[in-house]
Parts: sequence; structure tokens; C-alpha cells
Amino acid sequence: MLVLLRYEFILVALIVIFLLAWLIPGKSEDRSLSLFWINVLLFINFLFGFIPVEEGVLFNNMFYTNEAIGVQKMLLNFGALIISLQAYDWLKSNRNAFEFYLLLISTLLGMFFMISARNLLMLYVGLEMATLPLAALAAFETDSKRSAESGIKLILNSVLSSAIFLFGLALLYGETGSLHFSDMAGKLTGNPDGYRDTTLSLLLVFTGFGFKISIVPFHLWTADVYEGAPVSITSYLSVISKSSVVFVFISFLYIALKNMAPLWIPFLMVTSVLTMTLGNIFALRQQNMKRFLAFSSIAQAGYILIGILGASALGMSSVIFFVLIYIFSNLGAFGVVSVISAQTGKENLDDYKGMYHTNPMLSLLLLLSMFSLAGVPPTAGFFGKLFMLMAAAGKGYYILILIAALNMIISLYYYLRIIKSMFMDKSESPIAYFRSSIYSRIALVICFAGIILTGFFSGIFDYFYSISFGI
Amino acid sequence: MKAILFYIFSVLILACGIFTVTSRKIYRAAIFLLLTVVSVAALYFLMEYTFLGVVQLVIYAGGIVVLILFAVLLTHDSGSLLPPLGVKRTVATFALTGTGLTVFLYTILGRKVEPGSGEFNEPSVKMIGGQLLDLYNFGFVLPFEAISILLLAAMVGCIVLAMKFSKTMN
Repeated sequence: MLVLLRYEFILVALIVIFLLAWLIPGKSEDRSLSLFWINVLLFINFLFGFIPVEEGVLFNNMFYTNEAIGVQKMLLNFGALIISLQAYDWLKSNRNAFEFYLLLISTLLGMFFMISARNLLMLYVGLEMATLPLAALAAFETDSKRSAESGIKLILNSVLSSAIFLFGLALLYGETGSLHFSDMAGKLTGNPDGYRDTTLSLLLVFTGFGFKISIVPFHLWTADVYEGAPVSITSYLSVISKSSVVFVFISFLYIALKNMAPLWIPFLMVTSVLTMTLGNIFALRQQNMKRFLAFSSIAQAGYILIGILGASALGMSSVIFFVLIYIFSNLGAFGVVSVISAQTGKENLDDYKGMYHTNPMLSLLLLLSMFSLAGVPPTAGFFGKLFMLMAAAGKGYYILILIAALNMIISLYYYLRIIKSMFMDKSESPIAYFRSSIYSRIALVICFAGIILTGFFSGIFDYFYSISFGI
Repeated sequence: MKAILFYIFSVLILACGIFTVTSRKIYRAAIFLLLTVVSVAALYFLMEYTFLGVVQLVIYAGGIVVLILFAVLLTHDSGSLLPPLGVKRTVATFALTGTGLTVFLYTILGRKVEPGSGEFNEPSVKMIGGQLLDLYNFGFVLPFEAISILLLAAMVGCIVLAMKFSKTMN
């Protein structure tokens, strides 16, 4: 039990440590030492992921783990570590740093339970645990009105989506008489008897998932929440939170609904086209960097849905691979936005004009992240998108691939717009040269290396492929 | 007798529910919500599922609605009328809820439901408690413990948001 549950046990231990950290005597206003140790603990937590995971079931099928789930948890741990490093500049002057980490780790724990769920009850409990503390985190800057607004919007929207989701789950339970994914798969065979009810309950469940992954038309909360929340929480929402729900969505579709594929494939096709297109169109006209990245991440979710549509081991491994690259490139972009925001408070595209002349390294990293998000060949992002489209091509969805390709061209325009403003535009008052803390620089270097190298080590994708499964 | 009581409580639930959303005084809306919640509990008692009925009373009527009432009383302007809905919003609301109702009725009426046979044996509170903390025999100890961590996180989150620190305090 200790071995199978080790990811969760470590996180619970961390939660207890952060809860008791206030009692340590002799602590001053200066947070840098405690932040150092917290980052060391998170790094150790990440390192534990390298110990191989065995397949196993605990608590009467409520908890399931295998190698693929271990890898997914490790990716989330890794992303949380990078975000923690990037948050250093912001947290060192914040007196609630321990509570920040307590809430952050609780959401991570919820995600782990959710990914390991092969049971509707644990799926729901995990999903709630992964979202509720995030609302407190979004409102974490208590003296900022926009942060409070973002927290309120997040909690109202997630409560609404959870209620719809839970209603759908209750209907599914009523139809199948079981909470377990594998039993449900046997009952949901897609025969016309009771097909109507199943369609309705699945529609409600998909709405719940759609809210969390922020796919169109359930995306309306995204931009407002992303803009108001602290940058670290925005990047957490757009990368970690989204990826974890994508992982559990895949297991739900591939295990519980494996016989219902004719029902969910059209749904995913329509939403993925809508998500890519509308996300891109709205991203074109954003001036605020955080809003811009919010819409860019909506568009990226559309590509992820194409990978899921592959419904094969190739599809699942391409999604995991894409998430790894997405962690590097999106956290790289958010990292740059985050250090600039912490140093100067500037978050608008116009402020970035002429930044190359004053901060060449930061500009270069943002350039690479943008190329990777757009999928320009030498960077890892190209390979991530390529494998997902290949998975969809394996099922013959050529029109969908064509639409995705068109969307990638549109997206290239707005990613290049940012690069143009940094490298080519002149500005009277560019952002002055500054050195960020060693922590943010470590995080940025990791992202930099990841964007360059991940695409060239084919071993990573082969490994993901070997642990994945399809329908 | 049971059927008559069932219809009385159903009418109460529906009527109070409609009053909850149409009342323009927020305090009254909360009281109607309380009545709705209590009537739902009465339905559970009618079905002889006393445990769920008690839970409904304690948590929803006793906890949540009272909390809402407190929040209403603490805000100023709680006595004044809420702004009336415009024509646009009324039409939009009716269109949305009407579509939802149609879809659900279409689905529910399309399903053949047969009355269940056999007696319903209510599990005792002792059995429910034992099941919640059972490691084996289909126990629910993992979600139970996970929820306790969720509640801890929620508590910490509330304290962080609600607490005001003075600049000089260490």
C-alpha cells in the first residue's frame, strides 16, 4: 500500500509540514530560507517519481495505478516544481507563502486521486479537491480587486460545472448500476435501448469535463479568471490543472465509454474544431499578455482533443508527449511574463516593444516558447503537434487535420506578432534591464532546454508509447 | 394516505421553488428555499429513508440555508427589492429553462420505468458508519479521508482570504 500510494503519501506529508511550519520558532519576515527548503522538498518529491511504479489496485478498485499513471503524476509534479521556482520572486515578500503551498499541494493531491480513479466517486472527489482550493489561490492577492473578482468567477463557474457534472454522473450511475469504470463499460454498449438517457447523461458529464479543460463553448470563464489571478496561478490553471483533467478524460473515454465511441467521437470533433477556431480568433485581438496566453491555451486544448480522437495507443501517448512539451513551452512563456510582471508590473503587449535590446535572454526564451506553441519545426512543439495529427490520421480524420493545419497558420500570425514587437519594434521606454532571482533563472533554463531537446530524443515518445493503451 | 401526502409535499416543493426564484425580496427567497428543502426531507421520510431525511434536514436546512440567511442579514440593503428582470432576460430565461425542461422530459418519458418489487430495508446508522470507514468489503475509507483533506484545504483557504494582517505584526 505504501508503495502504490507513495505519490499521495508524500504530498500528504508535505501538507502536514506546511501546516505545522508556522510553529517553527525564530522565523523572521524574510521568507527566502523557507522558500529554499520548500523548493528542495518539491524537488525530492519530483525525484521520487523516477522509482518505477507497479500496477496495482487498492481500496476495492477505488484507487488504481500503473506505469502510465505514474508518468502522468510525475509530469504534474514537474510542472508544479517549475511553477514554484517561478513564483519565488512573488512569494518572497508574501507572508502567506506556507498557505500558498498548502493549497497548491492539496490541489495536486486531488489531481492524483482523480487520475488514479477508476470509480466515479473518487473521480468526483478528486475533481473537487483539484478545483476548490484553486479558487482561494486565484484570490490570493487579498489587496487586489481583480484577484478577488477572478476567485469569485472561478468558484462560481466551477461550482456550476461540478453540479452539472455530478448530475450527469448520478444519471450514469442510475443507468449502469455501478460506479466502476470497467463495470460501466459492460453496461454502456450503445444498444438503442436506453440510448436516449445515455446521450443526455454523457452530455452533462462532457459539459463538466469541458468546463475544466476550457473547451469552447464552455470557455467563457477562462480569460477573466486568467487575467485577474496571480501569474503563477494562471500558469498552474492553464498547464497543470488542464493537463490533469485531460489525463482523466482519456481514461474515462477509453475505459468506461469504450463501447460508446460512435457517440463521443462526433462530440469531440465538433468541439475541437470550435475550440481551435474560436480560441485563435479571440487570441488575435488580445493586448494583455495573460489574456492572450489564456486564449492561446484554449486553442491548444482544441489540438489536444484531436489527439484524444485518435483513440489508440498512439493517440494517448501523443497527448502525454504533447503535455510534456506544453509544460515546457507554456511555462516558459508564463515564466517570462511572470518575472516581468514581478519586476515592473507591466503585462501589456505594448510594454514588450524593443525588449530584445534591453533583455536579450528573456526575449530569446519567449521567442522559443512562442515558436514551440506555434509548432515551428526545430522546436519540440512541432513534434508534439505532429504526433497528435498522426494519431488522428490513423483513424482517417483528414478534414479535421486540414482544419487544424489552417488554424496553426492563423496562430502563427499572433505568435509572431509578439516576437515582432519584441525584436523589431522601437519603443521610447522599453522594459529596463534587470536580473531575476536565481530560482526563476533555473526554471527558465529548464524550459529553454526542454523546448530544444525534447523534440530530438525519440526515446521519450517511444517510452510513452510503450505504456499507453487505446480502445 | 401516502399518495395524498406525496402530492401535498410535491406541490409544496414546486410552489416554494418557484417562489424562491421569483421573489424580489432576497430574505423571502431564502425562507422559501428553506421550505423547499424541508419538503424534500419530508419526501425522504415518506419513503421511510429516515437517515437521508435527517441528513437533508441537518445539512441543508440547518446548515446551508441558515448560512445563507446569515449572509443576507449581514449585507446591507437586504430589505430592499431586487431590480425587476427586463423583458430580454425573462425571454432568455424562459427559453433556456424551457429547452432544458423539454430535453429532460423527452428523455425521462422515453424510458419505461417499472415499479420496484421487494421491501426496502433501511441501513442502520451503525452500518453506514461502518461502511464509511471499512478498508475491505466495499468500504469507502479512501474518499472519506480524501474529503477530510479537501475540508482542511478549504478551511485554510478561507482563513487566508478572510484574515487581515497588520503591517507591524510579526
